[in-house]
Amino acid sequence: MNKKSEEYIDFGVDSRYSTIEEKTSDAVILMQARLERMKNLPKEQIIRTKLIQLKLEMDEFLKQGTLGLSHKFSDFLGKYIDILYTKHAYFSKDLNITPVFLSQIINGHRLASEEFLLKLTVHSEKTFETVCFFNKNTWFQIFYQEKINQLIFRQDEWRSEIEKQVKFSELV
Amino acid sequence: MNIVDVSTDELIPIEILPVEKTDYKFISKNRYFFNWKEEQNQEVLKLIIKGKNDILGLISYEDIPEEWRFHIRLLTVSKENKGANRKYSKIAGNLIVYLAKLAIRKYGIMGCVSLRPKTQIAQHYIKNYKMKITGMTLSLEVPEILDLINQYENE
Repeated sequence: MNKKSEEYIDFGVDSRYSTIEEKTSDAVILMQARLERMKNLPKEQIIRTKLIQLKLEMDEFLKQGTLGLSHKFSDFLGKYIDILYTKHAYFSKDLNITPVFLSQIINGHRLASEEFLLKLTVHSEKTFETVCFFNKNTWFQIFYQEKINQLIFRQDEWRSEIEKQVKFSELV
Repeated sequence: MNIVDVSTDELIPIEILPVEKTDYKFISKNRYFFNWKEEQNQEVLKLIIKGKNDILGLISYEDIPEEWRFHIRLLTVSKENKGANRKYSKIAGNLIVYLAKLAIRKYGIMGCVSLRPKTQIAQHYIKNYKMKITGMTLSLEVPEILDLINQYENE
């Protein structure tokens, strides 16, 4: 590569397609090659990708903050288990909890206990150790962010009853 | 994510944000090498140092859901960050990695970032970002795309 081209690469690239035909033919060739390469992808790379995808989804949820009423904690927990285990029962055994307890958390019928969050954090730290950087506070942050979202977005449900109970006897 | 101050090796925290309409007043061809106003109807991102407004790099891209890929259209660093005397390094890399994260987050195992350089600069991207070449297209796919994400997250 000559000096002039080295200078050129230094500032960037124009990678826009010149024509629709160019874009279409490139897409066909690229897709065939990608699918072929995908066939040879080892199982551990698939698991690694899914874990990084999950981590990126969790990071994005925390970055977005209060966006609405969604059961993200249980969604993310379900995905995490499905990536690593063939059966939820194996995960509950590894965490020394009952399958019923786990099922209730995943289905949103029970809140995760502090002990469960701690066990999940320890499990995730070990899982992500060789995969990518994983903030040890992530599960706590998601759990509490979801609770904050629910309090904010369910004001219609709790406000009238709570307002009845709050007095202002010495209001300045 | 960080860029590197070349004179001190100091890591400088950055943010990557969507370009707003008002930004285009400050995005000249002289400083950013391409006519970015042509990209106003595309997705365009800017790289800035956290807490500052000055744009150090730009990328425009197309999300192609039916192919599970993000295609880079234009990519550049600002004039003072080009060449041997540049102030900061890793600007282009951070912009590519940002797109790589979008691709993996949205498309998982099929996530892909592609590029179609018009000149002999392909070798630069193959060497520095471990891109694969298919015909005229360079692409970042699993597992190299994950390695690149990790590399930039750990720096």
